[in-house]
Amino acid sequence: MNEKEVLSRWKKSSILIGSPTNILAAATAFIPVLYLCMKYDCWPPLSTVLTAWAMIAASFGAMWFVEPISYYASLGLTGTYLSFFAGNIGNMRVPCASLALDVTKSTPGTLQAEIVSTLAICGSVFTNLIGTTSAVIVGSAVLSVLPQFIVDGLTVYASSAIFGATFGNFAIKYPQIAVFALAIPVVLKLVPGLPAAVIIVITVFGSLFIARFFYKKGIVKA
Amino acid sequence: MENLAGMTNVQQVQTVSNAPIFWVLCGVTVVLSAIQAILYMRQSFKTAKEVNLDPKIPREALRIGFISAIGPALGVFIVMVGLMASIGGPMAWLRLSIIGAAATELTAANVGAEACGVTLGSEEYTLVCLAVSWFTMALNGMGWLLFTGVATPSLEKLRNKVSGGDMKWLVVLSGACSLGIFGYLNAGEIMKGVGNTIAVLAGAISMVAIVKTICQKHPKLMEYSLGMAMIVGMIFAIGYDQLFK
Repeated sequence: MNEKEVLSRWKKSSILIGSPTNILAAATAFIPVLYLCMKYDCWPPLSTVLTAWAMIAASFGAMWFVEPISYYASLGLTGTYLSFFAGNIGNMRVPCASLALDVTKSTPGTLQAEIVSTLAICGSVFTNLIGTTSAVIVGSAVLSVLPQFIVDGLTVYASSAIFGATFGNFAIKYPQIAVFALAIPVVLKLVPGLPAAVIIVITVFGSLFIARFFYKKGIVKA
Repeated sequence: MENLAGMTNVQQVQTVSNAPIFWVLCGVTVVLSAIQAILYMRQSFKTAKEVNLDPKIPREALRIGFISAIGPALGVFIVMVGLMASIGGPMAWLRLSIIGAAATELTAANVGAEACGVTLGSEEYTLVCLAVSWFTMALNGMGWLLFTGVATPSLEKLRNKVSGGDMKWLVVLSGACSLGIFGYLNAGEIMKGVGNTIAVLAGAISMVAIVKTICQKHPKLMEYSLGMAMIVGMIFAIGYDQLFK
């Protein structure tokens, strides 16, 4: 069997696993609140829930669509299902997947790359589950013995350092694109009142167009 | 059922949101996430065997994901202890095990309280308000889950269309999109202040240095590069805080 056939079967099977589980998760996430309301008879008025829904949609609604589209090229098919179920995409899933692609020297778009990034994300899902579950069991105890500066470092700076490191790793390969990828959002952030979703879209597609231009001119190569 | 009579609203919300039954009910979704990961693992190993991929590669990929996630997971660990205090243990466990960052979930919980016209954690925040907060979190998460659950195959088609079948361009395209995303994320961190900017710069520069020097000589260390760069970034930022604040 050639790789093309295997790849198309891989995609079908990925959709067959990912689509129902993600849709099911959207439903099962309501189990606790439905039980809460039934058991303690504390049903809120429908209008209040709808108001809250509209308010949260005003903050994050655009992200529901913008993030999966923007991250798609980095995550791929299975990676998208896994990551938007398990969360922590920028600080955990993409860094793990891209590092695994580097270490195993896999080329994006190939079957090997799909397998490698899927497994790296699976590995990170288990680590995260272990982390959150142990936080439940020993969290407060551990926090009370850790020196304050370590707690601060992890809460305030861990994400910054990971974002920086991952950006650095991509910048090694495409320094010319990296300059624009950082400059565009920094400038846009200075514009008051610009929604985050708009900044993401302009940054990702701006980087894409610049990459296309450099690629056509032969300035950047795969 | 817990005896809630005679309790203040704050005590009621605390007691109910930490009731043991919610560990089980929240666990349903957490377990579903683990099942999805296990199914994908099975598919990956099976396919790797079919195409005679060197068996070392899939094992290494899984290990890299497992190890490299430890650093970020420590961050989640600490944030979660804080979140448990404000939205209850079981719900914090659920929200941080699936889509959702602490800041997003806290926003959702606050929006729920706001829709009721009260503040989170106040004496006016009743069980009804708790229900609104929990609904808000579930409704917010539903956006990403439904969109990816339904539209992911179309995104695959979109990527193929944009790449136009040029595999070399696809590689550059993936890199450019990742740079765009992380440029955006870093810009947000830089705006937070000097400490975060130092963490970003030290993380980026040390990653480049580690990959270009140590990893050239010892390729095996590549899988720890992200963890090392994260630690360097944090040390520099904390050092700045200790010295200049």
